[in-house]
Amino acid sequence: MSAAVVESGAVRGRVLFVDDEPRVLTTMRMLFRGQYELHFADGGAPALELLRQHPVDVIVSDQRMPGMSGIELLRAARELAPGAMRVLLTGYSDLNAIIGSINEGEIFRFVNKPWSNQDLSATLARAVAAAHAAAVPAKPAVAAEAQRPAIVSAGVLVMDDDPRLPPRIQAILGTDCRVFGAASLDEAVGQLERQRIGVVISNTRVQEQPVVSLIGTLKQHQPELVSVILTERADAGAAIELINQGQIYRFITKPIVDNTCKIMVHSALKQHERLAHQPELHRRYEVTRPPEPPLASAGSRLLERVRALRSWVTGRA
Amino acid sequence: MKLRWLLPAMLAGVAIGVLLFLARMTQSADSKLHLERLANLRAINNLDVQLNRVLTQARVATLMAEGDERVRITRQLGDALDAIDKGPQSLHGLDPALDLATNRFLDTIQDKFELDFDIEARTTVLNQRLVNSANSVPGQVAALVAAATPEVRDNVGDLGEQLKTQIVTFSVTPSPSNQKDVEMLLDRLAGQPAAFKDALQRLHAGCADVIVDKDELVDRLRDFLDRPTGPQLQAVEQAYSAWYAGQQAIVARYRLALAVYAASLLLVLGWLGLRLRGSYRALDRANADLLRANSTLEAQVETRTHDLSAALRDLRDSQAQLVQSEKMASLGQLVAGVAHEINTPLGYARSNAEIVRDSLGRLGELCAAQDRALRLLTAPDSSDEAVAAALAQAEARRGSDDPAELMADLHSLLQDADHGLNQIAELVSSLKDFSRVDRSRTDLFDLNDGIDSALKICQNQLKHRVEVVKQYGTLPQIECSPSQLNQVFLNLFTNAAQAIEGNGRIYVHTLAADGGVAVRVLDTGCGMSEDVRSRVFEPFFTTKPVGKGTGLGLSIVYRIVAEHGGRIEVRSSPGKGSEFALWLPARQARAAPAEPTVEAALTAVAA
Repeated sequence: MSAAVVESGAVRGRVLFVDDEPRVLTTMRMLFRGQYELHFADGGAPALELLRQHPVDVIVSDQRMPGMSGIELLRAARELAPGAMRVLLTGYSDLNAIIGSINEGEIFRFVNKPWSNQDLSATLARAVAAAHAAAVPAKPAVAAEAQRPAIVSAGVLVMDDDPRLPPRIQAILGTDCRVFGAASLDEAVGQLERQRIGVVISNTRVQEQPVVSLIGTLKQHQPELVSVILTERADAGAAIELINQGQIYRFITKPIVDNTCKIMVHSALKQHERLAHQPELHRRYEVTRPPEPPLASAGSRLLERVRALRSWVTGRA
Repeated sequence: MKLRWLLPAMLAGVAIGVLLFLARMTQSADSKLHLERLANLRAINNLDVQLNRVLTQARVATLMAEGDERVRITRQLGDALDAIDKGPQSLHGLDPALDLATNRFLDTIQDKFELDFDIEARTTVLNQRLVNSANSVPGQVAALVAAATPEVRDNVGDLGEQLKTQIVTFSVTPSPSNQKDVEMLLDRLAGQPAAFKDALQRLHAGCADVIVDKDELVDRLRDFLDRPTGPQLQAVEQAYSAWYAGQQAIVARYRLALAVYAASLLLVLGWLGLRLRGSYRALDRANADLLRANSTLEAQVETRTHDLSAALRDLRDSQAQLVQSEKMASLGQLVAGVAHEINTPLGYARSNAEIVRDSLGRLGELCAAQDRALRLLTAPDSSDEAVAAALAQAEARRGSDDPAELMADLHSLLQDADHGLNQIAELVSSLKDFSRVDRSRTDLFDLNDGIDSALKICQNQLKHRVEVVKQYGTLPQIECSPSQLNQVFLNLFTNAAQAIEGNGRIYVHTLAADGGVAVRVLDTGCGMSEDVRSRVFEPFFTTKPVGKGTGLGLSIVYRIVAEHGGRIEVRSSPGKGSEFALWLPARQARAAPAEPTVEAALTAVAA
């Protein structure tokens, strides 16, 4: 099963739409009936019921629904059908809902209502392709990991204006892994050039510059790199951008709770290892290219350097 | 406080007591009394001497003459002695040595007095006899002369004359030669013829009597005079002087002590005075300051008043800002909720419109193909091949896009879009109803409409989990600010919805009551404790976590209801739910609330 096969139409993508407004479902049917095998549910419970019977490649869910919220549904779906890509389609979500969808739902995309048919089609096409490209083996990965020789343990890069943060993170993580600090994007790229970094912990802005394009570019060129956002300036728009364009793995809000932070970073390191060993998974974490490179010329040079980074895993530049 | 005054008062009392004691001790040696005593002693001495002299004189003079003088002296002496024995000038009880000397002197002088009386009695007798004896002598001499022979008569007479002279002298001032002369004369007479022997013998005896009596008198007088009153009195005086000197010494010591004490008291007083002066100075300074302060007080008061009114203005501004920010926050939530409500219909309506546009394109192509085939079919010069090709093309298009099916889809899509647009219109209209920006501030208003519009606005918070049970009575239109009351209901419903965890119900009851309208909003939420209930209308009181609520929502509700002249009460039982009961009058008092004031809100909340 490859993307090419899908494009040729040999295998139709299976998409499940969940919304409590039947007219939305009608619209989806009209929109995608020629392209995919469609399933519909008007709530979380029927959706899960349906998932148990029919494997699907993509789940598109509304957030606000009676009985079960979209996040709850997607979290349950992650257990039930880990291979299905998760997309949240919602009119308005408060920050907690978005952070929940990132940390618990591990969603692929966040789509706002009202949506553009073209963008939604594109997103669905990517999701289906990713699902097909990386049909996740249910559990054998664990066994496979055990057999693999442990590669050099990856370090953690902390990008924040506050110089006290890297030592703090090092203290939280203990001596298991090395923590590097960077107080600017430039410094961060320098560290990435020198050190083997597996996880990037970053604030949403470093020295007044948004990190989203850096993280997005990193993800494009080093898909095995995992990003975690650690910030006190949490806002919904930035979080949506970070998930759609940067595929951030976790979103943590300050103040730091040591234990939660430790668990999340360890989980990110595991994710990095998984991605490093299974390149076929990369497409599952593919990012949307931002409409225009938002960084100024200095930033563009920075991104050039990022593109030139040598992958520690594949060894290619 | 009392103790602070008690101690100095006691100290002053003790100081004055000591001063009085010392002063009295210096006064104890009374110099006047001392002089009197000394004079008394001198007087006694004089009188004693006088008495001696009187008695001595009595030897020569006839005693009768001196009797009065003696009595006077004796009386004066007795008085003087009494004075030293008892009374204020008494010398007794001053000093043991003085007591002893005085007693001895008094005993001696007592003896002397007794002797004096004895002498007096005895002397009278003796003198009488002496006078008699002396007087008898000349007769006896004459008798002798008569008895003498004429040859010796001259001799005897001469001798007799001498004898008479000698006897008289002896009886007055006896001397040893005198007595010898008498005895020699008597002897010479004895040598005469014995003719007058008898007479001579009688003369002899008479002379002898005179001598004996005179001797006794002299002896008694000597005994009297020999009494040692003089030295003893001197001893008394010495003892007294010694005692007085001692007294003087003691007094001198006390005087010194008094001087020292007085000096130290003066020092203390001086120190106190200095302190007092210092205090007065401080007092003066304080007074001056006070005067200055008084003079600047008015200016200060003015400044303070200015500051205070500035502070009050700031407070009002910030209060107004807070109220405004709470309004903005609730507006933000409202907008967020409504945005979601609008975005869903907007999403499918827009999407449907796009689909319809695409479908219309395909439908247009089908129409064009069919139109072309039809035109070829009806054209006289068209070839059969061309017609067949056009028909086949049109048929193929028809096969892929069934017009009937497509039309049905379009119909359905447009219907949905229409529905969505209606929903949006309704939401926008309810927003407008709620805000009432297009109406006057105060209006006649049916509260049921306000409750409905508030419920529509917070629909997204209630949808799917909270059932609203309405029980509306027929309400009179009341005079009020509808937008403010809509805010009240929205806040109450939001509050109720937040109190309900999961699913629950909100009951809304309205009815006309007491010349106004009563509204009750009940929820089946978590309820609140008595403590929370009593503070629920306080500004900034909130049970939500920091950053989640300003704590102004219900205080704004309270303020708006109070400004409308209404009242609001809250009842609650934890775990079961809460009830907000409010009543609003149908007509506003004439002084209608034009612009809500901060003070009104504060007093209303404080009430």
